[in-house]
Amino acid sequence: MSATAALAGGLVGTLVLTTMLRAASQFRLTRIDLPFLLGSAFTADRTRAKALGYLLHFALGQLFALGYYALFLALGHSSWWLGMLFGLAHGMFAGTALVNILIPLVHPRMGTPFTSAPEVALLEPPGFLMLNYGLATPIVSLAAHLAYGALIGAFTSLAA
Amino acid sequence: MESGPSRSTAGGWPERRDGYAPLREYAAIGDGRTVALVARDGAVDWLPVPDLDSATVFAAVLDSRRGGSCTLRPTVPCAVGRRYLPGTNVLETTFSTARGTVRVTDAMTVPDAHLTPLRELQRRIEGLSGSVPMCWSVTPRFGFGSRPARIRTRAGVPVVSCGADALAVCTWQAGRPQCTPSAISGRFDTRPGSRSLIALPFAHEEPLVFPARAECEARLDQTSAAWRRWLGERTCGGPWQEAVQRSALALELLVFAPSGAIAAAATSSLPEQLGGIRNWDYRFSWIRDSAFTLGAFLQLGCPREAQAYFWWLMHATQLTHPRLRVLYRLDGGARAPERTLPLQGYRGSAPARTGNAAAGQLQLDTYGELLQTAWLYAQAAGQLDSDIAHRIAGMADLVCRLWRAPDAGIWEVRSRPLHFTQSKMMCWVALDRAVRLADRRLIHTRRAARWRQERQAVRDFIETRCFNEDRHTYVRAADSAEVDAGLLLGYAHPDESRMRGTVEAVRRELAHGPFVHRYSGDDGLPGREGAFLACSFWLTEALARCGQRAEAADLMDQLIALANDVGLYSEEIDPADGAFLGNLPQALSHLALISAACALTERKQR
Repeated sequence: MSATAALAGGLVGTLVLTTMLRAASQFRLTRIDLPFLLGSAFTADRTRAKALGYLLHFALGQLFALGYYALFLALGHSSWWLGMLFGLAHGMFAGTALVNILIPLVHPRMGTPFTSAPEVALLEPPGFLMLNYGLATPIVSLAAHLAYGALIGAFTSLAA
Repeated sequence: MESGPSRSTAGGWPERRDGYAPLREYAAIGDGRTVALVARDGAVDWLPVPDLDSATVFAAVLDSRRGGSCTLRPTVPCAVGRRYLPGTNVLETTFSTARGTVRVTDAMTVPDAHLTPLRELQRRIEGLSGSVPMCWSVTPRFGFGSRPARIRTRAGVPVVSCGADALAVCTWQAGRPQCTPSAISGRFDTRPGSRSLIALPFAHEEPLVFPARAECEARLDQTSAAWRRWLGERTCGGPWQEAVQRSALALELLVFAPSGAIAAAATSSLPEQLGGIRNWDYRFSWIRDSAFTLGAFLQLGCPREAQAYFWWLMHATQLTHPRLRVLYRLDGGARAPERTLPLQGYRGSAPARTGNAAAGQLQLDTYGELLQTAWLYAQAAGQLDSDIAHRIAGMADLVCRLWRAPDAGIWEVRSRPLHFTQSKMMCWVALDRAVRLADRRLIHTRRAARWRQERQAVRDFIETRCFNEDRHTYVRAADSAEVDAGLLLGYAHPDESRMRGTVEAVRRELAHGPFVHRYSGDDGLPGREGAFLACSFWLTEALARCGQRAEAADLMDQLIALANDVGLYSEEIDPADGAFLGNLPQALSHLALISAACALTERKQR
């Protein structure tokens, strides 16, 4: 197994994940925009937020790919379906804890159930399973994370 | 800070009819997530938790027997005076009895550095003189009175639980709480300098937080300070400063802080006609109100609220793009299915409803409102994000295709769709703002020629089909004879004689003193409604913009006097007796007040 292959898988996986979410947004299935959510933690300028968010999103994609790689090493096995399994866990973590609970805590512009008057949030909170961004959001997000995991698994196993 | 003396009126003990207080007697307290209504007799008769658009735990205003409430009052006859603490949304009620005087301070507190309950209602009771016997009772009814709750004592604190919701009743020097299967109550006597406290912390999908007394006291004071700080940063001047400031504070109560959305009102199903069926849920954000809202935020010097609201608006409308829903939920969702609640309705005004079927109507004016909002935002910010610019252009294209269709109009009539003049005027506004944005290269310019062409077509339609030459007024709908107060929001320049004629026609046919009805024709519903307060303020603004300043200022003074004792307005008012009708506090009434006051002040300064 090679870390480089995992990183390459992470790059392609993030590209596919981002494209799937963006396509779902274009088809009016969801309002989620991960790069925008990430970038707007640092700037209120929407255009800059998106540009910065894409950079951060791809960096995080690489970081998670290394995490997947560490798990493959620990198990002594890598494959597309094992990566997909990790993607499932990753997607569920993202929907229930990461985006729903952790990001609003550290995001200076995102609302939480505790945001109160006279403050006002610039970004609405995602809610459980990110359902505030559209009823199809959890399905779209999970599918995108499955693809992400499968690609890292496939790249890592092919390079083994 | 609010200038001049804060409103504080004293009166006899407020009477209830069939257990219902007059709507005029309600004050609102809130924390940016939810709003409670407090009657002059000290009863909290409305409180949805955890959010403004959630189901209620107290809804006695919609069902005095089953709705649930939190009462607190002297047990002896008394006079009542009350006010908001200056510059805040914290309510102070003073009960004066033959045996002494007591002051109650009510607030929905805002979080501080301590472990704070998810939501918290606090009631501080201070003995000012003598000894006043007091009684209180908490009768919680979760889920609009439909879900049974269990009352138990945990760690010595009475706790009411119902599924994922719970509330505790924490008291200090307020008598020993007595629990029955349906209520928790207590009695105590005040003395000079005594200080009692009742705190109701709420939990939703999490354990309850039992606050310490010192934390509660500090949080209540910090809540007042936070409101004062917020108002101190606003720009509210002019002769109607106090009313504008109260309106700003009322609007801030309706801003849903977690998302930036603004609710049309804090309540559901308060009737537009006593005993009638015109009872609607207003706890949603209407696109119709968007331009007024953004304009008011900018006029009041609230750039953060303006930006948050515009961002929320653009997020919420993304899923339905390029089409707009009439209203959106406060979390940005587009669905608002209407259903009947198991409540009697205010003084028998059934049905009480949650959700709003108007969400699915076609209302062409919404496109004009949204593009006007984008125009105001772009002027203030100097730019538009490329995604938003693309979507604005898409909406302008849609207006080119849709404007020839009949619709439900700004008043959401439930009769057959018509070619409402105000809707066509707002289609003109939509295309005009798109052209202006394109001229400034803030949105794509390649389709601007078509927008110009259709803009002219809309104008031709309005001027030929929607104007009555004989009466020299625009009319409610194409080829109709009625007038409509919504026309006061007309697109044309106010100096144009046609708009002047329309203002005169509205005054002649729809206004009675300071009261203005929305329209005179059929709306598909039985019964009549009261005078619509926003229309009165629109008439004031229209008069000011037509140069009739003295009349406008006189009308403004009359309208300011129509507010209740703490400066709030509902949606409508009964011209016969001044009774409040409809949901309250109503954002549109307060937005219209701010806009009219600003228009008059601008003119005065010229």
